Amino acid sequence: MKMARLPMLALAVAAGAATPRPARAAAGSIRGRVEVTREPPAPDARPTVGELGMPAARDVPNRRRSVVYLEAAPQGAFEEHERGRTVMDQRNETFVPYVLAVGVGTTVDFTNSDRTYHNVFSLSKAKRFDLGRYARGQSKSVRFDRPGVVRVFCEIHSHMSAFILVFAHRFFATTDGEGRYRIDNVPPGTYTIVAWNDGETRGSRSVRVGDEGGVVEQDFVVR
Amino acid sequence: MRPLVLLVAAVAAAAAAEAAPAEPPRGPHRLVVGAELSAAVGPHDGGFFNYTSYEESAQRLARLSLTAEWRVSEPVALLGEVRDENLGRPRVYALYARVRPWRERAFDLQAGLIPPVFGAFARRRYGGDNPLIGYPLLYQYLTSLRPDAAPGSAGDLIANRGGGWRVRYPLGWGDAYPSPGLPVVNALRWDAGVQVRIGSEPVEASAALTQGTLSSPRVRDDNSGKQLSVRAVWKPVTGLVLGASGARGEYLSRSVRQALPEGRSGRGLQQAWGADLEYSRDRWIVRSEAIWSRWDTPALARALQALGLTGEVRCKLVPGLYGAARIDHLGFSRIDGPGGPVSWDAPVWRGEAGAGYTPFRHALAKVSYQRNWRNGGRVQELGLAIGQLVLWF
Repeated sequence: MKMARLPMLALAVAAGAATPRPARAAAGSIRGRVEVTREPPAPDARPTVGELGMPAARDVPNRRRSVVYLEAAPQGAFEEHERGRTVMDQRNETFVPYVLAVGVGTTVDFTNSDRTYHNVFSLSKAKRFDLGRYARGQSKSVRFDRPGVVRVFCEIHSHMSAFILVFAHRFFATTDGEGRYRIDNVPPGTYTIVAWNDGETRGSRSVRVGDEGGVVEQDFVVR
Repeated sequence: MRPLVLLVAAVAAAAAAEAAPAEPPRGPHRLVVGAELSAAVGPHDGGFFNYTSYEESAQRLARLSLTAEWRVSEPVALLGEVRDENLGRPRVYALYARVRPWRERAFDLQAGLIPPVFGAFARRRYGGDNPLIGYPLLYQYLTSLRPDAAPGSAGDLIANRGGGWRVRYPLGWGDAYPSPGLPVVNALRWDAGVQVRIGSEPVEASAALTQGTLSSPRVRDDNSGKQLSVRAVWKPVTGLVLGASGARGEYLSRSVRQALPEGRSGRGLQQAWGADLEYSRDRWIVRSEAIWSRWDTPALARALQALGLTGEVRCKLVPGLYGAARIDHLGFSRIDGPGGPVSWDAPVWRGEAGAGYTPFRHALAKVSYQRNWRNGGRVQELGLAIGQLVLWF
């Protein structure tokens, strides 16, 4: 049920059919807060029936971290590819951060800060990869060339999972510890802005950035 | 017995240090449940090479497994597993309590129907943990020994040589009721008892006191004897695991002892030692295991011995697809038969190679080809093409 909606996001991101105003108007910003009131579901773990004792300590991922993005963006935005680089660490048997939002062409370094092996892999349509097993202090990289949602797992630790949202434009943001987000340099126009949390689109609103630019406020509540 | 105790003591001394604290409780998410459905299909195994203790073949097996872990409090968890095989009667496979009395100490206690301490393979829980479809011979192949019946002479043993799926012996219940024999280590049932684990990486040790033995795990005691099993693990570098195991317990049931002719007695001990290693790196996992076991039988002066070796390799070819292969050998000591010295059971070799494909995370499809050779029995060579589907959540 949850995963069924993920391809929709990829398509919507790539579609690009907003109604921006002509050039020379001032760009604006959209900001707000995503309040997650729902209790995150249990981690996707399997019972440790075959272990000879308590499993090692591990962190709990921050599943309240959300991504806010414009469902459709000005046509020219899809031609901009920043090809940046960012990190998703593996620490105390947890992917950190739990959610990463990147633009197409970005390379993600999967570092291992644990004493044990990790084996990052994904079977998502947007990017299928398997980095094999590697030890503490080592890092392996993946470049994401297609927009979509990439679900990331560790083959050794079934409770480890994370999301990487790959966007074909630059109008997206992840929320901070307080749930706040901010998307800058948005050309004037009317857009559909979407809040995504823990594998699903949780809400969408229509927002208008005026010709004079400025800041538009838009909050979400995820129940 | 003494070497086992010394082994435990040595590792305990090395591992008395502080441990990483146990996994913290997760608020309301203290109950974790899982399910796995696996179905293997293959041709008729006319040589009974893949038959298990339940008189079913591992390569023609549909299994539904439900597991649960309830973290009652930070130091206490209850764990269990119920299995249904081939739409038969559901069985409780695991049911035990896990306790970590001291949060900062690497000391865990488990009691109930517990995972085996001995060796490495038997604790591989899920279908995906076995890259192939068949089991290693050591953990599945049925020898011609029974817990509830015993041979009266070497001739009785030789008559059942290579026929471990249907063994008949004169002492105990074995004459009237032919029944499958015992594997060296039974990976399809767990034993009831108490187990402790001490230490944390790079060295840890475990010891268990249980009702049955490696070959014949039991929920209820049937011979007033207990098994002590121990295991020490050393992880010198990431990816390398070296293990050593030992076990000693009584496998023969009381009914056999009562059926012994006057003047004959025997406790029916099984003793075993094992060594295992696992090395993994990048796309590769290599595993190997060796187990030596001996069984005392009341009517025979010499103990019966078996030595098994297994080696397994898995390599990921592309994301979602791997190839794997395993070779196995199980050999037996010699006894004096009417025609001269002969191994008390027929030596067996097995080779299996296959591939596994994961179309999505909760599914694994495997295919393999297995070839068996046996120096005795009705069918001495057999090839089997097998397929298996595993679904889990």
